[in-house]
Amino acid sequence: MIITRYLHSKWLKVQETWSVFVNELRRIFRDPGVTVIFFLGTLAYPLLYNFIYWKDNVENVPVAVVDMSHSEESRAFLHKWNATPDVTITHYCTSMAEAEQLMRAQKIHAIIYFPTDFATCLNTGMKTAHISLYCDMSSFLYMKAAYLSCNRVMLEDMGRIQIDRYEAMGMDKQFSWILVQAAPYTETALFCESGGYASFLIPAVLMLILHQTLFFGICMLGGTAREENNELFLLPGHRRGYSVLRITLGRSAAYFLIYYALSALVLLGVPRLFGLPHIGDPIAILKFTVPYLLAIIYFSMSVSVFVRNRESGMVTLIASSLIFLFIAGVSWPQQMLPDAWRYLSYFFPYTWGVHGFLHINSMGATLETTAKEYISLWILAGGYFLTTCGLLGIMGYLHDHHRLPEHRHATANIANT
Amino acid sequence: MKQIFLNIWKVTQREISRMLIRPLYLFASIGVMGLCTFFFLSIMKRGAPERMPVAVVDKDQTSISRRLCHETNATQSVEIVLITSNYADARLAMQRGEVFGILEIPEGFYADIVSMKRPTLHFYVNNAYTVGANTAYKQLLTMCNLTSGAFQREVLRKKGLPDYLIMERIQPVAISSHLIGNPWGNYGIYLVSTILPGILAIIVLMLTIFAIGFELKMQTSREWLETAGGNFTVALIGKLLPYTLIYIVLGIGCNVILFRFLHFPVAGSSLRMMLAIVLLVFAMESMAITLIGALPTLRDAISIGALYGMLGFSLSGFTYPVMNMLPVFKAWTWLIPLRHYYKIYVNEALMNGPIENTIIPMLSLVAFSLFILLVSRRLHNALIYNNYPLK
Repeated sequence: MIITRYLHSKWLKVQETWSVFVNELRRIFRDPGVTVIFFLGTLAYPLLYNFIYWKDNVENVPVAVVDMSHSEESRAFLHKWNATPDVTITHYCTSMAEAEQLMRAQKIHAIIYFPTDFATCLNTGMKTAHISLYCDMSSFLYMKAAYLSCNRVMLEDMGRIQIDRYEAMGMDKQFSWILVQAAPYTETALFCESGGYASFLIPAVLMLILHQTLFFGICMLGGTAREENNELFLLPGHRRGYSVLRITLGRSAAYFLIYYALSALVLLGVPRLFGLPHIGDPIAILKFTVPYLLAIIYFSMSVSVFVRNRESGMVTLIASSLIFLFIAGVSWPQQMLPDAWRYLSYFFPYTWGVHGFLHINSMGATLETTAKEYISLWILAGGYFLTTCGLLGIMGYLHDHHRLPEHRHATANIANT
Repeated sequence: MKQIFLNIWKVTQREISRMLIRPLYLFASIGVMGLCTFFFLSIMKRGAPERMPVAVVDKDQTSISRRLCHETNATQSVEIVLITSNYADARLAMQRGEVFGILEIPEGFYADIVSMKRPTLHFYVNNAYTVGANTAYKQLLTMCNLTSGAFQREVLRKKGLPDYLIMERIQPVAISSHLIGNPWGNYGIYLVSTILPGILAIIVLMLTIFAIGFELKMQTSREWLETAGGNFTVALIGKLLPYTLIYIVLGIGCNVILFRFLHFPVAGSSLRMMLAIVLLVFAMESMAITLIGALPTLRDAISIGALYGMLGFSLSGFTYPVMNMLPVFKAWTWLIPLRHYYKIYVNEALMNGPIENTIIPMLSLVAFSLFILLVSRRLHNALIYNNYPLK
């Protein structure tokens, strides 16, 4: 008898949670604003970003040449440089002034200058020959393309010249060859071989899109509930005496269900569809997504308690996206952040989420390797779950005692009339 | 005429009181802009990435390999945080995101190099973190080249060559690079000069949509129009006047901080930079009016506004050059005010280029106001009839 009664009471609690869950799903699908953010936002943004950064690497940056040496050596150098994918020589100028004009007008993004004594220096074998490279800094990617390719060509050329010089000194060919490359080296891009912009940025952006759409969707739902002064939405079932714990669980289960499916689609599908790095184990990614989503959901539910309007959160969407991106240490290395900002960043699910995802997806780490991020996300999820319960409990109390700010306004209005 | 100014003033007064009731307006403009300025300037304070963590796999463990580590560590840009004899450990550290590069010194490196067996150095970088990887790459590449150079110097010295002749043999060609407009290669100057105006532009867009859309949503638009004496233009000017003043002060303030206090380089005229940011504010307001006019429901306009604004950063071309984009996006960049602002910035601050490269983007920014004409009738009707969904 006692056992059945006990089971029955448990069953009622499950039923309560279930009804909150169903109610929340109904709310999401009935709100066109939220469905647009949840579904269109998560699916359209990744596609748009992939199309914007379609070419990944910056190629064929137009450059100008000022060759005062008019020598075979400079021509050979230019020939090799032009053959790299990074640059295309579009202008041959007779003076620096002319090239400068072109750079100022943004027709070219780098200038290479060979002084008159370039070939003489090389051929007399006594002096260092100088090349000057002028880079347009309006985008770092121009500079990277021009600078790195020019350096590579120079290093290659240099080896050949050095061998010639040593041979001229009377060393034998074998010896001078060894001397020049006494310690040869190999360079390997261990992860993201292309080194392109898209393969670095888009995986990070995918995690940000999930974070931001979920965050602002939940804030919009919270704002709507407040706006309609319908406390039943923030605390559905509160009037019927449902506990805050079960309300929080029921609501978050609805978000989790939708976003787990979306995340799987976006995080596994998009890198494969667009040929971005995806060397990670899909199962590990799916496991990692669980605490990430839970942490975002409870983080957002805690914040949404303070949102009083449907749309007001949206105003800060973009500024916050940029701050999240930078404070997480993706665009700008984490090591360079001032300590205060770095500690603050540990409170945001995105910081852990993006690094963990990059480690697994782009760098093939296992879940054990990225345990720090994985565990931190569980801790955040747990912490924010408690704050959500706490804040919702306070909301319920304030509502019951008519102490919410909107109640105050309502009383003031009545007093005025 | 006097009546018109009086009406504008009335609408402005109404707006100021609305603005002060809701904390959102001041928070999202002054608060967010202040926070972002502080945030970006503080994280970019050091400008160039320094002391990026790298690992060394020292399988040789001799005085030479230790000297190589020591000299690598003495450079500004990298810091050795892990020395191990096992490559797997270093790779694991990289997968954990602890290091951006690995330098592997093979076993018997010292013995091989002195017996001229050409031992091979290996270095690895992690391109999943592009800034860190680039810094580590440049430094490790230099270190590897210097290793061969140092060996050559030793051999040549032993052959009795004087040092000045040795240098010319070790480095027969040298590249001196000159970074135009940002000689330090400072990321802070590069990013902040466009990100902050970009954030201001987004704030202007979203808040203007919100300010107008909220009237529609709360069905107060008719009262707003009545305050303006039924004149649509007066209503708009009066409403946007106080915000515009705030935005202009924020914009000019931001540029004054960057170019005057922090001495970010300006090759051309900083006055024209001030004008550019004012025009950017007007262009974003025009786009906001156009969006809310085309979609006179707050929810729709603000969602589309967020989408458009977010893409603005990518499409302005300050990180990823427009030159490399697909043609459809190249065309799209013309509809992004931040793109025009960025062109002015490049021309004025970095290049001091021909004046037409400033004038044309400025005229383009002004031309955004023409979009309002397309929707003014629709928006006017929406204000009167309020015939669109409220939620």
